[in-house]
Amino acid sequence: MMKRIRKFSGILMSALLIAGCTVKAVGDPDRPITINANVVIDIRGMKETATGIEDMVAQGGTRK
Amino acid sequence: MKRFVMFMTALFTFLTLAYPAAFAGKYDLKSITPEVNRALKGRQARYAQLQDMKRSGLVGENNKGFTASLKGDPAAETIVAAENRDRRVIYQALVDQNSLGPSGMMDVQRVFAEVQREKAAPGEKIQGPSGSWETK
Repeated sequence: MMKRIRKFSGILMSALLIAGCTVKAVGDPDRPITINANVVIDIRGMKETATGIEDMVAQGGTRK
Repeated sequence: MKRFVMFMTALFTFLTLAYPAAFAGKYDLKSITPEVNRALKGRQARYAQLQDMKRSGLVGENNKGFTASLKGDPAAETIVAAENRDRRVIYQALVDQNSLGPSGMMDVQRVFAEVQREKAAPGEKIQGPSGSWETK
Protein backbone atom coordinates (compact mmCIF):
# COMPACT_ATOMS: atom_id res chain seq x y z
CA MET A 1 0.00 0.00 0.00
CA MET A 2 2.92 2.35 0.70
CA LYS A 3 4.01 1.71 -2.84
CA ARG A 4 0.66 3.06 -4.08
CA ILE A 5 0.93 6.14 -1.90
CA ARG A 6 4.42 6.81 -3.19
CA LYS A 7 3.21 6.29 -6.75
CA PHE A 8 0.35 8.79 -6.43
CA SER A 9 2.52 11.29 -4.60
CA GLY A 10 4.93 11.06 -7.50
CA ILE A 11 2.14 11.65 -10.00
CA LEU A 12 0.88 14.62 -7.99
CA MET A 13 4.32 16.21 -7.77
CA SER A 14 4.82 15.66 -11.51
CA ALA A 15 1.47 17.36 -12.20
CA LEU A 16 2.50 20.36 -10.14
CA LEU A 17 5.81 20.58 -11.96
CA ILE A 18 4.13 20.35 -15.37
CA ALA A 19 1.52 22.92 -14.37
CA GLY A 20 4.37 25.35 -13.75
CA CYS A 21 5.78 27.13 -10.78
CA THR A 22 7.71 30.21 -9.79
CA VAL A 23 10.55 29.81 -7.36
CA LYS A 24 11.68 32.92 -5.56
CA ALA A 25 15.03 32.76 -3.86
CA VAL A 26 15.86 35.78 -1.77
CA GLY A 27 19.32 36.02 -0.28
CA ASP A 28 20.63 39.53 -0.65
CA PRO A 29 17.58 41.88 -0.50
CA ASP A 30 19.33 44.17 -2.98
CA ARG A 31 19.77 41.35 -5.43
CA PRO A 32 16.65 39.15 -5.33
CA ILE A 33 16.86 36.16 -7.64
CA THR A 34 13.70 35.09 -9.45
CA ILE A 35 13.70 31.79 -11.28
CA ASN A 36 10.71 31.27 -13.53
CA ALA A 37 10.35 27.58 -14.23
CA ASN A 38 8.12 26.11 -16.90
CA VAL A 39 5.39 28.78 -16.90
CA VAL A 40 2.46 27.44 -18.89
CA ILE A 41 0.21 30.10 -20.36
CA ASP A 42 -3.50 29.46 -20.62
CA ILE A 43 -3.97 30.44 -24.25
CA ARG A 44 -7.75 30.70 -23.98
CA GLY A 45 -7.44 33.10 -21.05
CA MET A 46 -4.82 35.16 -22.85
CA LYS A 47 -7.02 35.31 -25.94
CA GLU A 48 -9.90 36.72 -23.89
CA THR A 49 -7.55 39.35 -22.48
CA ALA A 50 -6.18 40.21 -25.92
CA THR A 51 -9.69 40.51 -27.36
CA GLY A 52 -10.69 42.78 -24.47
CA ILE A 53 -7.71 45.08 -25.01
CA GLU A 54 -8.23 45.24 -28.78
CA ASP A 55 -11.95 45.98 -28.28
CA MET A 56 -11.05 48.79 -25.90
CA VAL A 57 -8.59 50.25 -28.42
CA ALA A 58 -11.18 50.01 -31.21
CA GLN A 59 -13.97 51.55 -29.15
CA GLY A 60 -11.73 54.38 -27.95
CA GLY A 61 -10.58 54.93 -31.51
CA THR A 62 -14.09 54.98 -32.94
CA ARG A 63 -15.31 57.54 -30.44
CA LYS A 64 -12.78 60.13 -31.57
CA MET B 1 -6.82 3.12 1.58
CA LYS B 2 -9.04 2.81 -1.46
CA ARG B 3 -10.57 6.14 -0.49
CA PHE B 4 -7.16 7.70 -0.32
CA VAL B 5 -6.31 6.49 -3.80
CA MET B 6 -9.63 7.80 -5.13
CA PHE B 7 -9.06 11.16 -3.45
CA MET B 8 -5.59 11.47 -4.93
CA THR B 9 -6.93 10.59 -8.38
CA ALA B 10 -9.66 13.22 -8.07
CA LEU B 11 -7.15 15.81 -6.88
CA PHE B 12 -4.83 14.98 -9.76
CA THR B 13 -7.67 15.35 -12.27
CA PHE B 14 -8.74 18.66 -10.72
CA LEU B 15 -5.22 20.08 -10.77
CA THR B 16 -4.56 19.11 -14.38
CA LEU B 17 -7.96 19.85 -15.92
CA ALA B 18 -10.46 21.80 -13.84
CA TYR B 19 -8.11 24.20 -12.03
CA PRO B 20 -6.57 25.83 -15.12
CA ALA B 21 -9.99 26.05 -16.80
CA ALA B 22 -11.45 27.80 -13.78
CA PHE B 23 -8.84 30.53 -14.09
CA ALA B 24 -9.24 31.16 -17.82
CA GLY B 25 -9.15 34.86 -18.48
CA LYS B 26 -7.10 35.64 -15.39
CA TYR B 27 -4.50 37.62 -17.34
CA ASP B 28 -4.92 41.34 -17.31
CA LEU B 29 -3.20 44.67 -17.26
CA LYS B 30 -3.25 44.74 -13.49
CA SER B 31 -1.78 48.20 -13.31
CA ILE B 32 -2.19 50.92 -15.92
CA THR B 33 1.19 52.58 -15.59
CA PRO B 34 1.73 55.99 -17.25
CA GLU B 35 3.67 54.18 -19.99
CA VAL B 36 0.84 51.69 -20.63
CA ASN B 37 -1.71 54.50 -20.52
CA ARG B 38 0.25 56.44 -23.13
CA ALA B 39 0.46 53.34 -25.31
CA LEU B 40 -3.29 52.67 -25.08
CA LYS B 41 -4.17 56.31 -25.77
CA GLY B 42 -1.71 56.39 -28.67
CA ARG B 43 -3.27 53.31 -30.22
CA GLN B 44 -6.76 54.73 -29.82
CA ALA B 45 -5.68 58.02 -31.39
CA ARG B 46 -4.28 56.36 -34.53
CA TYR B 47 -6.88 53.60 -34.76
CA ALA B 48 -9.00 55.18 -37.53
CA GLN B 49 -5.96 56.09 -39.62
CA LEU B 50 -4.51 52.61 -39.21
CA GLN B 51 -7.80 51.03 -40.27
CA ASP B 52 -7.82 53.19 -43.42
CA MET B 53 -4.30 52.03 -44.24
CA LYS B 54 -5.27 48.42 -43.66
CA ARG B 55 -8.26 48.79 -45.96
CA SER B 56 -6.10 50.28 -48.69
CA GLY B 57 -3.55 47.47 -48.36
CA LEU B 58 -0.70 49.68 -47.19
CA VAL B 59 -0.56 47.96 -43.81
CA GLY B 60 -1.09 44.37 -42.73
CA GLU B 61 -1.09 42.37 -39.53
CA ASN B 62 1.91 40.06 -39.23
CA ASN B 63 1.98 36.76 -37.33
CA LYS B 64 3.89 38.25 -34.39
CA GLY B 65 1.17 40.60 -33.18
CA PHE B 66 2.54 43.67 -34.95
CA THR B 67 1.59 45.75 -37.94
CA ALA B 68 3.70 45.71 -41.10
CA SER B 69 4.11 48.27 -43.83
CA LEU B 70 3.56 46.38 -47.07
CA LYS B 71 4.18 48.92 -49.82
CA GLY B 72 6.88 51.15 -48.40
CA ASP B 73 4.59 54.17 -48.08
CA PRO B 74 6.37 56.72 -45.81
CA ALA B 75 3.19 57.70 -43.92
CA ALA B 76 2.38 54.03 -43.36
CA GLU B 77 5.93 53.38 -42.14
CA THR B 78 5.56 56.13 -39.53
CA ILE B 79 2.20 54.84 -38.32
CA VAL B 80 3.44 51.26 -38.20
CA ALA B 81 6.53 52.22 -36.17
CA ALA B 82 4.44 54.14 -33.62
CA GLU B 83 1.77 51.42 -33.43
CA ASN B 84 4.33 48.66 -32.94
CA ARG B 85 6.13 50.65 -30.25
CA ASP B 86 2.85 51.02 -28.31
CA ARG B 87 1.89 47.37 -28.81
CA ARG B 88 5.27 46.26 -27.48
CA VAL B 89 4.71 48.33 -24.32
CA ILE B 90 1.31 46.67 -23.78
CA TYR B 91 2.63 43.15 -24.48
CA GLN B 92 5.59 43.64 -22.17
CA ALA B 93 3.29 44.94 -19.41
CA LEU B 94 1.14 41.81 -19.76
CA VAL B 95 4.21 39.60 -19.52
CA ASP B 96 5.65 41.44 -16.52
CA GLN B 97 2.42 41.98 -14.58
CA ASN B 98 1.30 38.36 -15.00
CA SER B 99 4.75 36.80 -14.44
CA LEU B 100 4.61 34.94 -17.73
CA GLY B 101 8.29 34.06 -17.75
CA PRO B 102 10.98 34.35 -20.39
CA SER B 103 8.91 32.74 -23.16
CA GLY B 104 5.80 34.74 -22.26
CA MET B 105 6.41 37.49 -24.79
CA MET B 106 6.32 35.02 -27.68
CA ASP B 107 3.04 33.51 -26.46
CA VAL B 108 1.47 36.93 -25.95
CA GLN B 109 2.52 38.01 -29.44
CA ARG B 110 1.17 34.81 -30.97
CA VAL B 111 -2.20 35.20 -29.24
CA PHE B 112 -2.55 38.88 -30.18
CA ALA B 113 -1.66 37.99 -33.79
CA GLU B 114 -4.45 35.41 -33.78
CA VAL B 115 -6.92 37.96 -32.41
CA GLN B 116 -5.86 40.49 -35.06
CA ARG B 117 -6.38 37.88 -37.79
CA GLU B 118 -9.86 37.17 -36.49
CA LYS B 119 -10.71 40.86 -36.26
CA ALA B 120 -9.39 41.72 -39.71
CA ALA B 121 -12.07 42.79 -42.18
CA PRO B 122 -12.43 41.10 -45.56
CA GLY B 123 -9.88 42.49 -48.01
CA GLU B 124 -7.25 43.23 -45.37
CA LYS B 125 -3.79 41.66 -45.44
CA ILE B 126 -2.90 39.16 -42.74
CA GLN B 127 0.07 36.89 -42.21
CA GLY B 128 -0.80 33.32 -41.30
CA PRO B 129 1.03 31.23 -38.70
CA SER B 130 3.12 29.66 -41.49
CA GLY B 131 4.41 33.08 -42.54
CA SER B 132 2.52 33.44 -45.79
CA TRP B 133 0.57 36.64 -46.44
CA GLU B 134 -2.99 36.43 -47.58
CA THR B 135 -5.98 38.66 -48.16
CA LYS B 136 -8.75 37.88 -45.75
